[in-house]
Amino acid sequence: GSKHATTPADNYYLARRRTLQVVVSSLLTEAGFESAEKAAVETLTEMLQSYISEIGRSAKSYCEHTARTQPTLSDIVVTLVEMGFNVETLPAYAKRSQRMVITAPPVTNQPVTPKALTAGQNKPHPSHIPGHFPEFPDPHTYIKTPTYREPVSDYQVLREKAASQRRDVERALTRFMAKTGETQSLFKDDVSTFPLIAARPFTVPYLTALLPSELEMQQMEETDSSEQDDQTDTENLPLHMSTDDSGPEKENASVLQQNSSLSGSRNGEENVIDNPYLRPVKKPKIRRKK
Amino acid sequence: MNRKKGDKGFESPRPYKLTHQVVCINNINFQRKSVVGYVELTIFPTVANLNRIKLNSKQCRIYRVRVNDLEAAFIYNDPTLEVCHHESKQNLNYFSNAYAAAVSAVDPDAGNGELCIKVPSELWKHVDELKVLKVHINFSLDQPKGGLHFVVPNMEGSMAERGAHVFSCGYQNSTRFWFPCVDSYSELCTWKLEYTVDAAMVAVSNGDLVETVYTHDMRKKTFHYMLTIPTAASNISLAIGPFEILVDPYMHEVTHFCLPQLLPLLKHTTSYLHEVFEFYEEILTCRYPYSCFKTVFIDEAYVEVAAYASMSIFSTNLLHSAMIIDETPLTRRCLAQALAQQFFGCFISRMSWSDEWVLKGISGYIYGLWMKKTFGVNEYRHWIKQELDQIVAYELKTGGVLLHPIFGGGKEKDNPASHLHFSIKHPHTLSWEYYTMFQCKAHLVMRLIENRISMEFMLQVFNKLLSLASTASSQKFQSHMWSQMLVSTSGFLKSISNVSGKDIQPLIKQWVDQSGVVKFYGSFAFNRKRNVLELEIKQDYTSPGTQKYVGPLKVTVQELDGSFNHTLQIEENSLKHDIPCHSKSRRNKKKKIPLMNGEEVDMDLSAMDADSPLLWIRIDPDMSVLRKVEFEQSDFMWQYQLRYERDVVAQEEAILALEKFPTPASRLALTDILEQEQCFYRVRMLACFCLAKIANSMVSTWTGPPAMKSLFTRMFCCKTCPNIVKTNNFMNFQSYFLQKTMPVAMALLRDVHNLCPKEVLMFILDLIKYNDNRKNKFSDNYYRAELIDALANSVTPAVSVNNEVRTLDNLNPDVRLILEEITRFLNMEKLLPSYRHTITVSCLKAIRVLQKNGHVPSDPALFKSYAEYGHFVDVRIAALEAVVDYTKVDRSYEELQWLLTMVQNDPVPYIRHKILDMLTKNPPFTKNMESPLCNEALVDQLWKLMNSGTSHDWRLRCGAVDLYFTLFGLSRPSCLPLPELGLVLNLKEKKAVLNPTIIPESVANNQEPVNSTNNHGQSVGFQNTFSNSQEEEEIDMDTVHDSQAFIYHHLNMLERPSTPGKEQSSGEMNMHPVLAAPLSVFTKESNSSKHSDHHHHHHHEHKKKKKKHKHKHKHKHKHDNKEKEKDPFAFSNSPASARSIRSPSLSD
Repeated sequence: GSKHATTPADNYYLARRRTLQVVVSSLLTEAGFESAEKAAVETLTEMLQSYISEIGRSAKSYCEHTARTQPTLSDIVVTLVEMGFNVETLPAYAKRSQRMVITAPPVTNQPVTPKALTAGQNKPHPSHIPGHFPEFPDPHTYIKTPTYREPVSDYQVLREKAASQRRDVERALTRFMAKTGETQSLFKDDVSTFPLIAARPFTVPYLTALLPSELEMQQMEETDSSEQDDQTDTENLPLHMSTDDSGPEKENASVLQQNSSLSGSRNGEENVIDNPYLRPVKKPKIRRKK
Repeated sequence: MNRKKGDKGFESPRPYKLTHQVVCINNINFQRKSVVGYVELTIFPTVANLNRIKLNSKQCRIYRVRVNDLEAAFIYNDPTLEVCHHESKQNLNYFSNAYAAAVSAVDPDAGNGELCIKVPSELWKHVDELKVLKVHINFSLDQPKGGLHFVVPNMEGSMAERGAHVFSCGYQNSTRFWFPCVDSYSELCTWKLEYTVDAAMVAVSNGDLVETVYTHDMRKKTFHYMLTIPTAASNISLAIGPFEILVDPYMHEVTHFCLPQLLPLLKHTTSYLHEVFEFYEEILTCRYPYSCFKTVFIDEAYVEVAAYASMSIFSTNLLHSAMIIDETPLTRRCLAQALAQQFFGCFISRMSWSDEWVLKGISGYIYGLWMKKTFGVNEYRHWIKQELDQIVAYELKTGGVLLHPIFGGGKEKDNPASHLHFSIKHPHTLSWEYYTMFQCKAHLVMRLIENRISMEFMLQVFNKLLSLASTASSQKFQSHMWSQMLVSTSGFLKSISNVSGKDIQPLIKQWVDQSGVVKFYGSFAFNRKRNVLELEIKQDYTSPGTQKYVGPLKVTVQELDGSFNHTLQIEENSLKHDIPCHSKSRRNKKKKIPLMNGEEVDMDLSAMDADSPLLWIRIDPDMSVLRKVEFEQSDFMWQYQLRYERDVVAQEEAILALEKFPTPASRLALTDILEQEQCFYRVRMLACFCLAKIANSMVSTWTGPPAMKSLFTRMFCCKTCPNIVKTNNFMNFQSYFLQKTMPVAMALLRDVHNLCPKEVLMFILDLIKYNDNRKNKFSDNYYRAELIDALANSVTPAVSVNNEVRTLDNLNPDVRLILEEITRFLNMEKLLPSYRHTITVSCLKAIRVLQKNGHVPSDPALFKSYAEYGHFVDVRIAALEAVVDYTKVDRSYEELQWLLTMVQNDPVPYIRHKILDMLTKNPPFTKNMESPLCNEALVDQLWKLMNSGTSHDWRLRCGAVDLYFTLFGLSRPSCLPLPELGLVLNLKEKKAVLNPTIIPESVANNQEPVNSTNNHGQSVGFQNTFSNSQEEEEIDMDTVHDSQAFIYHHLNMLERPSTPGKEQSSGEMNMHPVLAAPLSVFTKESNSSKHSDHHHHHHHEHKKKKKKHKHKHKHKHKHDNKEKEKDPFAFSNSPASARSIRSPSLSD
């Protein structure tokens, strides 16, 4: 033992060990020894412990081999046989007259190993899952916990957040791009404070300059149907640009109607647009003067 | 030309009539940028003994010419390739004359051309019977530098996959650059056009696409076009590329073409075009003349809009999506302009260059009507005012724009444009800026005519011109009728007088036949006793670019009792005009005040003078004179005018005037206007800038927050948190424009230390920070770009201690914030580029501002990288502008060289043109300035550039001339070493004179000293042959002569006598058989002697020109004899005496 305060686990193992020592000593006494050196007893105890442990380990293997979790008597028997022990001698030995009865080791609870992060009760197996299946993991690993904090509704804070978030993302992104690629600098002595991503010429410069970016396209689709159209100002716009689609389309519609009313027969043609650029290309004539 | 003669109809300057032309391009190689093809011209001689046919052709290689299947000899000579052959004479005056002469020498409207074909003698009899000639010319073009522009992106894939395309381009008549033709607007014919191109490509050209046929290997196809409406070669065009095709959903005969991937933009952009069609057809009561119309949007455009017969070529950068606000009206204006020119410019062509103003005027005028209808009267009047201000500023700067130059027969003395450094006799010698202003003036003058005869008559005149033309155009076999499709000044004026019955001759004389604008100074006094307004109107008609105005002038007086128009008669000597007032001064305070438009408003009259009933006075409110008015009235009058006058032009004038009155009352008037939503948005935008100026003048007494801040907050920020701007919603365009402009104007505010107030800077930074476009239907790229402009506006010069070097450590903290934003914006553009890269453009400009103000080390490297080919054109221009500015500020020779190299080598013509333009507008030095940059090498370089380096592009050459003029002036550049003999003796006057070639311009322009040296030359010139002065005079003759010699040569190379039919019209057309061409440049007396002189002296130098010399030999004696008879001065035949004749360069 040790003088220091011991943990319950230590106590538990010490108690078992002491019992084994008592067993070894009583066996020695039974064998006719009157005294024994401590070291010898220790060694024998060690051997006994190893032997028993081996029986347990081996028995567990046999039992698991047959897909069980609890060892049965036959597992023990097979183990003992395997270890070269004559099992038949065991009942006689157990009933020998000169045997000494020793007190059972004090009942101490199996030390509870503190589980890492246990939270809540593990869920019992539902009825359709056999009991020998492993238990559910700790609930915190799969259960989501709804929080019931009030969402931030203050407009100012929201805008502030959105702005700074976007700014941070943009800055991080551009800095990353600048770090990983070529840069230009406005100051000869410093290239890192205001890194400018180097200008790189395009093969077809007008495409990037004219086509809306995907982001904008997406935005356009989103806003197209949104409320903005309803907000159309009631004020008269002297700037008759009518960039919004609704304006010209209405006008166009009326124009179209006019056209169609003017030439009723045109309706039929409308499906087939006769335009020289849409006509099929002719096959070369055999005798084309060139 | 002369109007009275013109009445008889069109007399062709050419001895034949072209009726039909075939252009066949059988091969176009994009890899090698080459074109192979042939043309066939059907020509009817109009005179017997037509023995040579002159056509235009530049940079084409001509393989073979056949006339009616007979091989024909031809000579190809282009004197404009190298204008002056001697390099030591680097005097612009001299160059301009030589250049004008060279252009004349090939001018189809003078019956000339670069290509001279001899009619085979077998056909002479045929010709004498005036029978048809078919001229067949095989030609090729290799790597054309002008006329046709190839765009071939450098990437993998077939040409079609790469989006390679080619298109015709140029300034005025430039068709000769890509096929031989009569490159004149007055020679109309029908056309058959054939183009064989790769099967993946489309060839778009004029007229109707008849059919498309595969070649036998099925790898190419041939596009067959027929243009049955007689059309000038100059209006023929071509665009070939892997275009996406869009048939206009409203008008199936209209087809739009764009480069791959841009179809959605094309759909949106052209969706509006049919309305323009309807508008023009309605006002002109005339159908669109061609049976089809095509729009092609191409990259690397020469100009944004180019109109040709039945098709227009646009810059692809005009395309935009529905999200773009700012570009939309601009693009629509371009479309409308192009369409207006279809009627006037393409369908109706002009007789001669001096009639150009009619076409530009009419197309510009009907385009203005379209503007009025589409954008409203306010926008229209604003535009007219803007154009008027521009033309006035230009004319006052340069000395005048002449719409209808008349060139008398050979009388060079009355050159109508002696104040200019270029000749206005040809479109190809005109400075681009002059031409732009010319167009501007033309449509303004049309508007003046409208004011005079009413719009109704105006439109009737146009309709008449169009119906005449369309009748003529349908006469397929009566080609003499086709001249009805040509408009002339006289024809146009006759139509006007027939239709309206009004005499507009004074108006025409004032604005069309004469250059210059009117400058009025007005002031007034109110005479209480007589209740009369005493108005004094002075004119300045002595400054350059001004002219005297005599005639009616409208004055509008707003009094308490209403608005009254008065028409004053401006006469020679009357300055003062008494105008009786209608109202007694302030009788009834409560009464509403009637305005011009009938509206009655309440006014707070406390500000006005209690004795006077006058609220405000306007001179020429309808802008019916091309004028600048400086009018004096008190500040409260301007304030009333701003608040209550309903005309936007008056409001804008009032705003500009109020800049001089920084008072709380002005501030209030401006703020009120800013807030008024009914007010025209451009007026409100202008008010922003005026308010900033006033605030700066009032800085010590200013109370409250910085100007406009609270206003902006109220209009655009959240109600609950006023420091945060609302999320963007640009549905209301006026608000949008105001929202964009206010920060830009606010950034111009300065505190007592002349710094931008911190509060304003933080405000702008917050706008950037909180900018949120996620819910917006429109792109905010222009808005963000203007916020960057605002940041740049807030920058003030750095306080520099001991000229310390600019480093990060001593960076001003405010500037650091600005730089941070610019860096982020510029970097984000790489990841999410904005439309037309507006943000990059603004960032580059802002960086240059920071450099210039000493916050950031001045360094052109960044700009140079953005200026490289491969960046979007707007970005390149912005970067180049910064380099140009750097060149000036830092006097960097290296950068100047870099720019000039780009002028020579850049693949994009527009960029080349723009660099010269920017260098001219922001020159590194000017003629009267000492600069280390000004040295001989630079003179040589620029001289070469304009002399021979830019022969493929008229516009570029004229740009080089402009730059040369800005840098060195008209006379010999001051940085050139003095000629060896700086002083020459004048024996006649017995005194020494500074060599005229080296004296400063102010003296050189004066004719007196020049004359005296000439006298000197007469007497002692021979002995001084090797003096510098003499040599230069000699070269003068020589080089000018060279362009002329060509004509001599051709006139005489043929054994047959020259076309005699010409002589009748020689006075006008300068087609005298022998003296023809020189007449236009030299006086009769001088030319022959010069001629012989040239011959004697340069025989050894010009061995390669043997032919010419031969001919000169032959004719020398003839000339000499003639001269001896005619010339009263009868100089000796010594070469020296010939030299004495003043060169054309000095005669102006």
